[in-house]
Amino acid sequence: MGLQNEEKLELGCSSSQQRSKKWVLLTVRVIAFLATATATLVMALNKETKTLVVAMVGSTPIKVTLTAKFQHTPAFVFFVIANGMASFHNLMMIMVELFGQKLDYKGLRLAMIAILDMTTVALISGGASAATFMAEVGKNGNSHARWNKICDKFETFCDRGGVAIIASSAGLILMLIITAMSIFKLLNKPKSVSS
Amino acid sequence: MAKINKIFSNILRLLAVAATVVAIVFMVTSHDSAQVLNLTFTVKYSYTPAFKFFVIGEAIAGGYTVISILLSFKTLFWRLIVILDMVATVLLASSISAALAIAQVGKKGSTHAGWLPVCGQVPHFCDQVTVALLAGFAAAVIYFVILLCSLYAVL
Repeated sequence: MGLQNEEKLELGCSSSQQRSKKWVLLTVRVIAFLATATATLVMALNKETKTLVVAMVGSTPIKVTLTAKFQHTPAFVFFVIANGMASFHNLMMIMVELFGQKLDYKGLRLAMIAILDMTTVALISGGASAATFMAEVGKNGNSHARWNKICDKFETFCDRGGVAIIASSAGLILMLIITAMSIFKLLNKPKSVSS
Repeated sequence: MAKINKIFSNILRLLAVAATVVAIVFMVTSHDSAQVLNLTFTVKYSYTPAFKFFVIGEAIAGGYTVISILLSFKTLFWRLIVILDMVATVLLASSISAALAIAQVGKKGSTHAGWLPVCGQVPHFCDQVTVALLAGFAAAVIYFVILLCSLYAVL
């Protein structure tokens, strides 16, 4: 009887703290969702067509139409998929937080949220770094491998790619913060008094 | 239970150190040269920033793992180790991802950008880089399991 009263008192003192922490976590999740969704959309709609004059036959110029799409580079495809999955994960976590308070599986709810957050962080970091290095090769070329730079011809493509990568990096930092908060929530969860 | 977890975690950390060392050694010693039309075409890992980042990332993660093995004999630092394990996992994931992206372009080329594949002329370089990337990928996967073990140990 005495133990139950103590437990109720302890929970009552920190419940306002827990509620404000819950809203902080939710806000950061919404911002991270917006960042990764922006990165996904900007990169997925990244396309540029340019007509170049290749040679002159007499007085008629021969024109070649070149297109730069994100699907041409597997690194950018992985970037789009990784950020899409991260946005979906954040959306699911927001829904579960707002509408699914009762959802639990053998008491492992907080642990599963923390583990899923960690996998999403690893995924976003992989996508962002692959896209960054591909963009660096596209911008500076590689003289040793005889790879020409493409950013001087396709400026809009490169600019939009850069914006997507910056948005994804911001999402990565926010996801790291979210994961740290989820782990702290997991470590500080009130241990249930059994029997 | 905690002791079994600690021993298992330390064995995994030793495996991760071995994987990162293999990755670094194979990447650093990979160089090759080929003669193409009277021009000598040399390839080293340091010509590509992605491979340099890969070596640096693996070195940092490997060094941190050695320190964490030594630290794990004192149980004061558990929470710090969980956070640093997460940082190391993210670092390993991003270095292997960057190196794989560039290696894929080196192997298959990119017809849209007019980049020719490099592996046809320097097969020895490509083989060594492949081994290094496999070891790096194994290190990343092992590190994720280490992270789960550390989290379980702190609960």
